[in-house]
Amino acid sequence: MPLLERRFTIKANDFVKAGEVSIEVQGILKKIGFDPTLVRRVSICAYEAEMNVVMHGGDGEMMLHVEPEEIDLVCSDQGGGIEDIELALLPGYSTARPEHQEMGFGAGMGLPNIKKNASSLDVYSRKGEGTRLIMKFEVGDEH
Amino acid sequence: MSTDDGTSAGRPVHYVEVDEDLCNGCVLCMKACPMKAIRLRDHVARIEGVCIDCMECARVCPRGAIRGVSSVDVSLGDRSEDAVCPSTVLYSQFGEDFLPNDVLLGLRSMGFRYPFDQAYTAEIYEFAMELFIREQRKSENPPFPLISAVCPAVVQIIAYRFPSLLRHIPPLATPREIVTREAKQRLSAKHGRSPEEIQVLHVVPCPAMMIREADQTNRDRAVGINAVYDELKKSIQEIEEDRVLHYSGGIGLGWGISGGESAGIQAKSIAVSGIHETIRYLERVEMGLLSHIEFLECRICTEGCVGGSFNVADRYQTKQLVQRYVRMFGEERRVKQKYLMKLYREGWFQTERQVLPIRTENIDMTIAERIEQQKRVESILRELPKKHCGMCGSPDCRTFAEDVVAGKARLDNCTQLEHLGGKGVIT
Ligand SMILES: Nc1ncnc2c1ncn2[C@@H]1O[C@H](COP(=O)(O)OP(=O)(O)O)[C@@H](O)[C@H]1O
Ligand code: SF4
Ligand SMILES: [Mg+2]
Repeated sequence: MPLLERRFTIKANDFVKAGEVSIEVQGILKKIGFDPTLVRRVSICAYEAEMNVVMHGGDGEMMLHVEPEEIDLVCSDQGGGIEDIELALLPGYSTARPEHQEMGFGAGMGLPNIKKNASSLDVYSRKGEGTRLIMKFEVGDEH
Repeated sequence: MSTDDGTSAGRPVHYVEVDEDLCNGCVLCMKACPMKAIRLRDHVARIEGVCIDCMECARVCPRGAIRGVSSVDVSLGDRSEDAVCPSTVLYSQFGEDFLPNDVLLGLRSMGFRYPFDQAYTAEIYEFAMELFIREQRKSENPPFPLISAVCPAVVQIIAYRFPSLLRHIPPLATPREIVTREAKQRLSAKHGRSPEEIQVLHVVPCPAMMIREADQTNRDRAVGINAVYDELKKSIQEIEEDRVLHYSGGIGLGWGISGGESAGIQAKSIAVSGIHETIRYLERVEMGLLSHIEFLECRICTEGCVGGSFNVADRYQTKQLVQRYVRMFGEERRVKQKYLMKLYREGWFQTERQVLPIRTENIDMTIAERIEQQKRVESILRELPKKHCGMCGSPDCRTFAEDVVAGKARLDNCTQLEHLGGKGVIT
């Protein structure tokens, strides 16, 4: 079973580099030649997860696993964690600070967007203990 | 060329050439190419990949070895019977003493009896685009932002690197397509010939605007502005005729500069220019970040078409002049709205242009095989020095690794691996 794995580091509060990991993920999937719509869905999720680490989390990483039938993204950080996961998943809920809002972030649509675009999403987090998002995408799962 | 699965295979035609005698095999163009289309073979740069005619390579070449080429020689063809449709950028090449109408009259005294004003068809296009955007607003899942198809290089980038964005390209005829239709229709009535028999000569600011294979269903041709410049400059100074050939307002005249197209369309829009900015914005659109924008105008050349490499006048001076024209001719469209509305309803603005994804990966391979291939790229890359020197003939270490895996380069082309003491044994 061919399994391609890539690991990318994400730095907290680095808004200059923010988004580069998702663009790399996007590039790899395009090179392999996955369906453009699938690539688009994965990149949307990668971007939202990456931005959350930059904005709300601490330093972290994104793991990309690629198999012919499934693409997985695992995004984890050692930041402050999420107090109430159910609340965080609600559209519009955001604890983004004013300076983030000035940059155009903090609409509270990131996690809902991931939920919409991934085949499955699992959020593991505890206040003070960081956050881990597992996003799976089935190849051929038309969304 | 289109294949069974609705994609276009193989390299599209391009209009950029390397002069092998002038090229000394430096790495500058190869590194500048945003498509990673250039390789060095035997100390000469060769365009081997998908070229979008953006001219980044030519801009950095210190020896002037890379040039855009015209699809035909301007001396060919019959000037007296056929139509000439210059890009609006031509209007601003001769300084402020000559107005758009003078330029069109100048073409006439060069022997082109039927010049058509593309600034006017630009206004017609904008009217149609507004109607289209209004319709889209009411639809369930509008493909916002719509991405302008006016810069052919942008369309090529989308087809190659952002195929999921093809649905953002409005299915409407561009000003150039509209002016072509108009010219054919009018002249066929005049000469009693069929529209297909009427030849249209486009005078364009950049190689991307050359007519591509897909458009060559008719006898149309294109030449660069530089190809007509000298002769036109002379003939403008000798104009005796007095007649109106230019019809547009300032809106249509503003098209040469970045923001000119979107300025004439009432919608939430942004205008981006330059190849790197364009790619950055397309990436963001693909991530779903710009869906609150309705219309995205991208131009590969910085500052827009005034930056095209076939232009003779300086891009910033030209920009100034275009802005002056816009003020002078007024910021409104001079089109017949009622009539256009009727045409729109009849579907007259639908384009025949069809944009297919450009695929260069080996379509005979399965996804599993391609993942495997990508893994090999990664493992080779780990061994490479990552100095990105280009001495292997590929633009950077990753692309070199890809070329090795694709069988287009040999690992021992890397001059650095040897220095690392024969570490280059990779399986
Ligand atoms: N990696 C993370 N670390 C800590 N908190 C997070 C993380 N990701 C999301 N959150 C919390 O969940 C909320 C909702 O996230 P999201 O839906 O992406 O909206 P937004 O990022 O716009 O605030 C955030 O405001 C934040 O409180
Ligand atoms: S014109 Fe642009 S795409 Fe074509 S080879 Fe030159 S830099 Fe690359
Ligand atoms: Mg977010």
